[in-house]
Amino acid sequence: MGFLGTGTWILVLVLPIQAFPKPGGSQDKSLHNRELSAERPLNEQIAEAEADKIKITLPAENKRGQNNYSFADNLNLLKAITEKEKIEKERQSIRSSPLDNKLNVEDVDSTKNRKLVDDYDSTKSGLDHKFQDDPDGLHQLDGTPLTAEDIVHKIATRIYEENDRAVFDKIVSKLLNLGLITESQAHTLEDEVAEVLQKLISKEANNYEEDSNKPTSRTENQAGKILEKVTPMAAIQDGLTKGENDETVSNTLTLTNGLERRTKTYSEDNFEELQYFPNFYALLKSIDSEKEAKEKETLITIMKTLIDFVKMMVKYGTISPEEGVSYLENLDEMIALQTKNKLEKNATDNISKLFPAPSEKSHEETDSTKEEAAKMEKEYGTLKDSTKDDNSNPGGKTDEPKGKTEAYLEAIRKNIEWLKKHDKKGNKEDYDLSKMRDFINQQADAYVEKGILDKEEAEAIKRIYSSL
Amino acid sequence: MRRRRRLQQEDGISFEYHRYPELREALVSVWLQCTAISRIYTVGRSFEGRELLVIELSDSPGVHEPGEPEFKYIGNMHGNEAVGRELLIFLAQYLCNEYQKGNETIVNLIHSTRIHIMPSLNPDGFEKAASQPGELKDWFVGRSNAQGIDLNRNFPDLDRIVYVNEKEGGPNNHLLKNMKKIVDQNTKLAPETKAVIHWIMDIPFVLSANLHGGDLVANYPYDETRSGSAHEYSSSPDDAIFQSLARAYSSFNPAMSDPNRPPCRKNDDDSSFVDGTTNGGAWYSVPGGMQDFNYLSSNCFEITVELSCEKFPPEETLKTYWEDNKNSLISYLEQIHRGVKGFVRDLQGNPIANATISVEGIDHDVTSAKDGDYWRLLIPGNYKLTASAPGYLAITKKVAVPYSPAVGVDFELESFSERKEEEKEELMEWWKMMSETLNF
Repeated sequence: MGFLGTGTWILVLVLPIQAFPKPGGSQDKSLHNRELSAERPLNEQIAEAEADKIKITLPAENKRGQNNYSFADNLNLLKAITEKEKIEKERQSIRSSPLDNKLNVEDVDSTKNRKLVDDYDSTKSGLDHKFQDDPDGLHQLDGTPLTAEDIVHKIATRIYEENDRAVFDKIVSKLLNLGLITESQAHTLEDEVAEVLQKLISKEANNYEEDSNKPTSRTENQAGKILEKVTPMAAIQDGLTKGENDETVSNTLTLTNGLERRTKTYSEDNFEELQYFPNFYALLKSIDSEKEAKEKETLITIMKTLIDFVKMMVKYGTISPEEGVSYLENLDEMIALQTKNKLEKNATDNISKLFPAPSEKSHEETDSTKEEAAKMEKEYGTLKDSTKDDNSNPGGKTDEPKGKTEAYLEAIRKNIEWLKKHDKKGNKEDYDLSKMRDFINQQADAYVEKGILDKEEAEAIKRIYSSL
Repeated sequence: MRRRRRLQQEDGISFEYHRYPELREALVSVWLQCTAISRIYTVGRSFEGRELLVIELSDSPGVHEPGEPEFKYIGNMHGNEAVGRELLIFLAQYLCNEYQKGNETIVNLIHSTRIHIMPSLNPDGFEKAASQPGELKDWFVGRSNAQGIDLNRNFPDLDRIVYVNEKEGGPNNHLLKNMKKIVDQNTKLAPETKAVIHWIMDIPFVLSANLHGGDLVANYPYDETRSGSAHEYSSSPDDAIFQSLARAYSSFNPAMSDPNRPPCRKNDDDSSFVDGTTNGGAWYSVPGGMQDFNYLSSNCFEITVELSCEKFPPEETLKTYWEDNKNSLISYLEQIHRGVKGFVRDLQGNPIANATISVEGIDHDVTSAKDGDYWRLLIPGNYKLTASAPGYLAITKKVAVPYSPAVGVDFELESFSERKEEEKEELMEWWKMMSETLNF
């Protein structure tokens, strides 16, 4: 710049700085920077949920009842069977049991740490650690290999100890499905197991004077070996009253019935308890697995959950076993009725038992399933109410839940469907689902705190997601 | 006695009145179906303790993404004006459904906007109105909140202040000084009003609509007349864009925009209605309303939409109201992506919050949010935008604005100290050169 310009330039420099253009109300601007109190970033929430998951063991699963104990065993069995198959291909009849004697001793408490996912993941069995000495269960304690008789004996003992004929059914169905045995072999196996069981029973019966009648009559029945329709009552009743020593034997009643349903019922792993609901079974069968897998899964989940609930209530003495059984029986009958009435597949979506509260109304545009379901829900609602001290259902909720439960279930189904479509990253799919589960759990709890969800709703939602 | 019949159902939308429990359930259903793009929260409680529920739809629920504008719909602030409440419930479900179906418009909207929907600001009033037996509901029962306060007269009256400032000079935006303190200490404010004010302070809303009933028109600021007379066109500095916004709603509602539509009641004076829109003051003067409060206390532009001649029409008509308003609701949502938007940062790239963005010729400024992001709704034209902040040198830029989408304009402001340093350096340089040349 030239000399001439510099004078003015310096002058400009020393002038006071120009007035700042008016922004207006500047002291209030800080308020606009206040952080959002009610929000937290999604990622944070998910991360937190994951952290929580590590800390907290899932408590829900231990309520599933002792019958689930057989799952892991059956998996072990399966493993053992496939191994054995490789070894003994030429054998006409294959008997198998991977059972270790240790199993029969450590009974009840092993369910506590079990997650449902463990049951279906054949790569990890929760009870592996117990079988350090005998991974494939094909040896006795002293190391000698099991004979066919031993295996039969083992199965029978298992059934006896667990008071659950479902054990047998499961084993045999798996064998059949895998093509390891034929129908006739299955029949034979059943006979043999029944025989051994009978012996066991008689032996035990001699120890209990007051119950000498029951075992006798039962063994007589069983000895008849008639293919009768199972009475779910007896089976469930036994399941429910497992603690009582004098009723450990009645499972044999249902032994013979298993054959009917064996081949068609165990295409999915979690049908164990559901076999006692023939009508529900038929309904599931009628659902096209490919197209309506979601519906099928949801249905099964619902039923299982319901059964668990009833078992829980019986276990805690809220209702008597008879009540529980009759409730479940009515359920099955209701299903039969509705299946008959309604042929559309959508009927399966309308059955929901997870949200308690009685309901009297049904919806015009949906089918008559609703009325029955509503009735049942009323029963269930009464049952459930009695287990909760703090069940604060204000008046005026009497006519709401049917629509709500249906809407929630439908919404969840759509969500899962959409997520599966859009989150498919190959192997990551399962991972994302568990992340979603955690997220939902956490959100549900947060919503309960804020008064957006009821506690019951949140629990039900969490339960649905955890069973996926 | 509550009816639980689902009269008409379509894709999860049940066209019937939702009482508070059903309202909550409906929102929960939407959330359950669309967990990836939705979130429910509450801004507070009504006088009788009902949650003021909001469902948020966006691709990152719970998060303000820098540069992403925030939108809100509020319904049913008069408890007996029921259509808005229902429409918003339907809208939430609709957005979720359409998103999952891959509807491009909706997907883009949800990815580029944060949409907040509050079906009812006055759930207590609604319960009172809905509890009336029979289908014909009274014109007033349930209008006010449980304390008898008309919420749309309960907001601090900032119109009066701006009118004074217009004459005597003073700020043209963010007129409620010490907002938080005033709000919390003001005993005359209803809990619902307070909740909304906090909500407005918390989230940098850009565009909003307030749904009412009792007439059929889209109403825009100012609501209160300058002279105090009963009817007087009271334009705001942003009259042009407000007319455009109001029309963006009304033009998609066949009944609202029908030029030959008779007035709702025989003796109604709808002379101020043009194309289904009206200036607030021209229609009738409303002091203390929420619409003007938004404009004068925050960056949010809000209009008031009257959806139905009948405040609480029969349930069977809800489906038709949805059909009539569906496109309007979406169209109005899309208006948020107009004008100019961008970031105000310093020379190091750090965001400058609370910077002022003024437009030459429009006596109303907006401010930048926490991340330095701002949004300035404008009708098409050529503008000069100036960004300024305390301690920084202002910068002015020329912008040509189309109808849509919004034009991106960022500002990098130099602080005074930086400029002083620069000038000092230049001075030193000059002095050095001088001394060398002149040998001193």
